[in-house]
Amino acid sequence: MTKTDQRITLRRRPLLAGAAAALATPFVARAQGTAKSGTVKVGMPTILSGAIALLGTSQRNAAEMEIERINAAGGLAGRKIELVVRDSKGQPQEAARVVRELVNTDGCEIIMDAEASSAAFAVQEVIRDLGVLCIHTSSETSSLTADPKLRVATAFRCARQGVHDSIVGGSYAAKVADAKKWTKWATCSPDYAYGHDTTTQFLDFFKHFKPDVEIITQAWPKLGAPDFTEVITKLIQAKPQALFSLLYAGDLSAFINQANVYALFSNMAMFDPNMGDYPVLTAVKSLPAGIYSGTRYLENFPDLPANAAWGEAYRKRFNQFPTNWSWQNSTAWMLAEAAAKKAGSLDAKKMSEALTGLTIDCPFGVGGKVTMRDDHTLVNYAVGWGRTTPKMPYVIDIEAGDWKQLYELEAAWKKQMNYT
Amino acid sequence: MTSGTAMRDIAVAAAALAILIAVPFLVHSPAFLDYIIRIAAMSLFATSLNLLVGGTGLVSFGHGMFYGLGAYAFALLMQRTQISLAAAAGCSLVISALVGLAVGAVCIRLRAIYFAFVTLAMQMLFYSIIITWQSLTGGDQGLQGGIPRRVLFGFDLNSQFHLYTVSAVVMVVGLLLLRHVSASPLGATLRMIRDNEPRTAFLGVTVWRAKLTAFVIAGVFASLGGILAALFVSGAYPELANWPISGQAIFAVMLGGVSTFLGPLAGAAILLALGDAVTRFTEYNGMVLGLVILFVTLGLRRGVLDVLTEALRRRRTGPAAGAAE
Repeated sequence: MTKTDQRITLRRRPLLAGAAAALATPFVARAQGTAKSGTVKVGMPTILSGAIALLGTSQRNAAEMEIERINAAGGLAGRKIELVVRDSKGQPQEAARVVRELVNTDGCEIIMDAEASSAAFAVQEVIRDLGVLCIHTSSETSSLTADPKLRVATAFRCARQGVHDSIVGGSYAAKVADAKKWTKWATCSPDYAYGHDTTTQFLDFFKHFKPDVEIITQAWPKLGAPDFTEVITKLIQAKPQALFSLLYAGDLSAFINQANVYALFSNMAMFDPNMGDYPVLTAVKSLPAGIYSGTRYLENFPDLPANAAWGEAYRKRFNQFPTNWSWQNSTAWMLAEAAAKKAGSLDAKKMSEALTGLTIDCPFGVGGKVTMRDDHTLVNYAVGWGRTTPKMPYVIDIEAGDWKQLYELEAAWKKQMNYT
Repeated sequence: MTSGTAMRDIAVAAAALAILIAVPFLVHSPAFLDYIIRIAAMSLFATSLNLLVGGTGLVSFGHGMFYGLGAYAFALLMQRTQISLAAAAGCSLVISALVGLAVGAVCIRLRAIYFAFVTLAMQMLFYSIIITWQSLTGGDQGLQGGIPRRVLFGFDLNSQFHLYTVSAVVMVVGLLLLRHVSASPLGATLRMIRDNEPRTAFLGVTVWRAKLTAFVIAGVFASLGGILAALFVSGAYPELANWPISGQAIFAVMLGGVSTFLGPLAGAAILLALGDAVTRFTEYNGMVLGLVILFVTLGLRRGVLDVLTEALRRRRTGPAAGAAE
C-alpha cells in the first residue's frame, strides 16, 4: 500500500463512522421518538416526489394550516400537535414500512394517511396490526370502507369516493342527455383498474337513469401517454354526441390541449368528474367553455363564506390553489379535533368510537356539515357538477348532487357487491 | 467444497442466527426488527441475483420478476385457499422454479446485453399480466385485504417478533444454501463459464444446462425473498414486480460487491438503511441515492465488501504482497 493510499484510508475513517452513525439513526431514534410531554405526534405518509408530488404537498399545506389553528386553540385533547410527514414515493411496500416506522420509532399516536390507491390498502393492513387511529385522506376506492372484510376498527376514510361520484355523475349526465337528446355516447378513460372499473360503474348508474343510451365507442389511452392523437381521431370518427372521460391530472390537461387542435369540443360534449380541480383547470392552455365537470375542489362550491375564506387563505399563504386533497386533509383534522373533544382522550379506541357517526361543522359539507358515517366513511360532503368557463371561477352553473338519492343507490350497490 | 469449509459456514450461520435471535431480548427496537425482516427479503433477492451476475456472468435486468412472482403466488395461495403457510410457500417456490425453467430456457442462450434485455422484457411482460389480469391480481390496486398470516410451526406471524424470527431463520438458511451452491462443483462450473465459456464447453460441460440450473436456483431464492416481502406488507402489489425492484437488487449487488459472497447482503443492508435514513430527513431521496451511486461507482469502483476484504487481505499478507499485485 502506498503512502497516498494510507492517507486516503485514514481520512475515510471519520467519513465511514459518520455514515454509519447516520444510518443507525432509525434504531436509536426510539429514545427521542416519544413525543415531548404535552404534545402528540401525528404521522403523515404521502407522496412528495415524482409525477404526483402535488398529492402530498397540497395535503401537507392543508395540514399545516389546520394544525396551526388547532394548536392555537389548545391542541387535541389538550396536547399540541407535532406533525411528522414522510415520503413513501407512492410505493405500497414503502408506505407500509413508513407507517410502521412512524408509529414504532417516532412514537406517532395518530396516522393521517395521505397515500393514494394501492398504498392506502397497504397502510390499512399495517393499521390492522398496530391498532392506532388512522384517517385516510386520499383513497377514493370505495371498497376500502365499503367491503366489511377490508374494514379496520380504528381506520376511517375522509375523502370522496368512486361510487358517490359515479351516482351523482350518472344522474347529472342523464339529466343533461335527456334535455339535449343525446343518446350516442363514447368513453375515454385510462387503461388500468381505476379507469375500467369506474367507467363501468358510471355507465351502470347512467343507464339506470337513462336506459336508451348507446355506447358507440370506448377508447382506453395508456396512463401518462404523451400523444392522444390516435384516441382523438378515433373519437371524432365515431361521431358520438357526448363523451364521458375519467382522464385526470396531467393526462386530462394534455388531452384537452390536443383535442382543442382537432376541434373535438365542437363535435361533442365532454363529461369528466376529474375536471373540477384547480391544478387541471389552470394547466389547460385555453380551457374550452362548457365542458361538463365534476367538482373536486372549488372555492365557489359549496357556495359558503367559510369555503371561500378557506380557499382564499390557502391561496394567499402558499401562493397556489388548494386541491381536492387539500379539503379532504383539512376535514380530517377538523374531525380529529371534534372527536378528541368528544372522547376527552387520544386513545385509539375512544377516538374511534367518538368518530363513528360524528357530524361536524365543515366548510366543505352540504349546508356546512359533514358526517363520518358508521361504516367509517365520509358523507354529506359537497359533490356536484357544472360547466367550465375559461376564467376564474372556472366552473359555473353548478348543480349539487342529491344525497338522499345517493344513499339509496349506494345501499343497492353495496347489496349487489355483497358488502351488506 | 471441503467438509471443513462447509462446517465453518454452518458455524458462522449458526452464530449469526443466535445473535439475530438474541438481539430483541437485549434491545427493544421494533424498527430494527422491521429492518431485519426487510433485509431478509432483499438479501435473498440480491444474493440470488449475484449467483447469476457475479457467479455466472449473466447480468439479469429482470430478476425482480421472481421476487414479484413469489409474493403474488404466495399471497394468492394464502388468500384463496386454506392450505398451511408452509405449503403455500412451498407451492410458490415450485411455481417459481417452473416459471424459471420456462423463462430461462428462452433467455440463457443469449449473451451479454441480449440476455439482459430479454430478461427485462420478460419481467415487463409479467408486470403487464399483473396489471391486466384484474380479476386475479387486483390490477394496479394490488391484492387487497391482507394475507391471513396463519401459524407456522408454532410461530404466530401476526406477532412482529415471530415474523422477525421466521425471517431471520429463512434468511440465514437461504443464504447458507446459496453459499453451498456457489461453493459446490456447480458453482465452480458457473465461474468457469463466466471466465471462459468456449473453454468450459470444450472441457465437456453442457453449458446451457449449468446456466439454466443457476437461473432456476436464482429464481427460486428470489421468490423466497418475495414471500418474506409479501408477509411484511401483508399483501402483494405490482410495485414488487416492476422493473425498479430489479434495479434495486442490481444496485445492492454493485454496492456490496460481486466477488464476495456476503457482498449483496451488505449492499442490501446499506441500501435499505440509506433509503430509510434519507427518507427521514428529506424528500429528495432520489438525488441523495444518485450521489451515493456516483460515489461508489466512481470512487470505490468496486463493492464496499470487496474493498474491505481486499484491505483485510492486504493487512494480513503485508504491504509487499498487496503492492506486488
